[in-house]
Amino acid sequence: MNKHEFLTTLKNNLASMPEAEKGEILYDYEEHFRIGQEDGKSEEEIAASLGDPRFIARQFKADFSINQAATNTSAGNIFKAVLATVGLGFFNLVFVFGPFMGLVGALIVFFAAALGVTVGGLGTLLVVFLAPAFPDFIAMDVSPVVAVFMSIGTTCLGLLMFIGCCYLAKFFYKGTVKYLKWNMDIITRK
Amino acid sequence: MNIQFKKGVLELCVLSMLFKKDCYGYELVNEISKNILISEGTIYPLLKRLKDEGYFTTYLEESQEGPPRKYYKLTDLGASTKVELEKEWFSFVEGVNKIVKEANERE
Repeated sequence: MNKHEFLTTLKNNLASMPEAEKGEILYDYEEHFRIGQEDGKSEEEIAASLGDPRFIARQFKADFSINQAATNTSAGNIFKAVLATVGLGFFNLVFVFGPFMGLVGALIVFFAAALGVTVGGLGTLLVVFLAPAFPDFIAMDVSPVVAVFMSIGTTCLGLLMFIGCCYLAKFFYKGTVKYLKWNMDIITRK
Repeated sequence: MNIQFKKGVLELCVLSMLFKKDCYGYELVNEISKNILISEGTIYPLLKRLKDEGYFTTYLEESQEGPPRKYYKLTDLGASTKVELEKEWFSFVEGVNKIVKEANERE
C-alpha cells in the first residue's frame, strides 16, 4: 500500500465524521508520511508500520461517537457509541454489546412495571366512578372511599417507580459512557 | 503479538516524552514503536483522545526541512497526570518484580 492508497482508504472510512475532524486526522497521517520519507523510508514501509487504515478509522469513529454520547444525551447516540465500539473486535461484542443489551432489556422491564402500576392505580379510580353507572357489570367489594385512597396510593407508587427508573436510566447512561471510554484505553493493541 | 496493554501504559509513555520536551507526532510514534511492539497508526487516535481530554495542546512550528510540523505541548493537567501515572506504574512494576523474584528464589 502506498501513501495515496492509505490516505484514501482512511478518508473513505472516516466519511461519517465531520469535515473539521476528518481534516485534522488526515493532516496528522499526511505529516507522518512526509516526515517518514524525509527520514529515508519508503511510502510502503511507512504504510505497513502504520497498520490497517480501516482499523485506524474505526478507532477514531468509536472515540468520536463516545464523545458525542457524552456531550449530547440521547438513546440514539449511546447506541451508536456502543455499536462503534463493537466494530473494534470480537472482545467488545461479548463484553460490551451483550451486557449493554441485557441492561437495556432490564430497564425496559422496569419502565413497563412502573407504567403498569400507574395504569392500575388510575384504573381503580375509573372503576370507582363507573361502578354506580354499571351496577350489573362492576361489583365492588370495598367502599368507594377506600377504593379512592387505594387508587391514589397505587398511582403515586407507580409514579415514584417511574421517577426511580428515570434516575436508573441516567445512571446507566453515564456508566456506559464511562465504561466505553475506559474500554477504549485497554483495547489499544497490535 | 496480541497484548492488551494495561490502561495508562501508552498514555504514560506519551506524557513522559512530552514532559521532557514538546514533540511532533512522528517523533512520538517513532520513539514508542522503537521500544514497544504496536501498530504505529493506533497512536494517533490515542494522541487525539488525550488532547480532547485536555492533557496537551498542539501548535504548528516551522521546520528547517520543509513545511511546519504539529507539535504537542503538555498542559498542567497533563504534567500532574504524568507524575501520578508514573508513581502507579513504578509501584506496579515493583510489585510484579517482587513476586517473580521471590518465586524464583524458592526453586
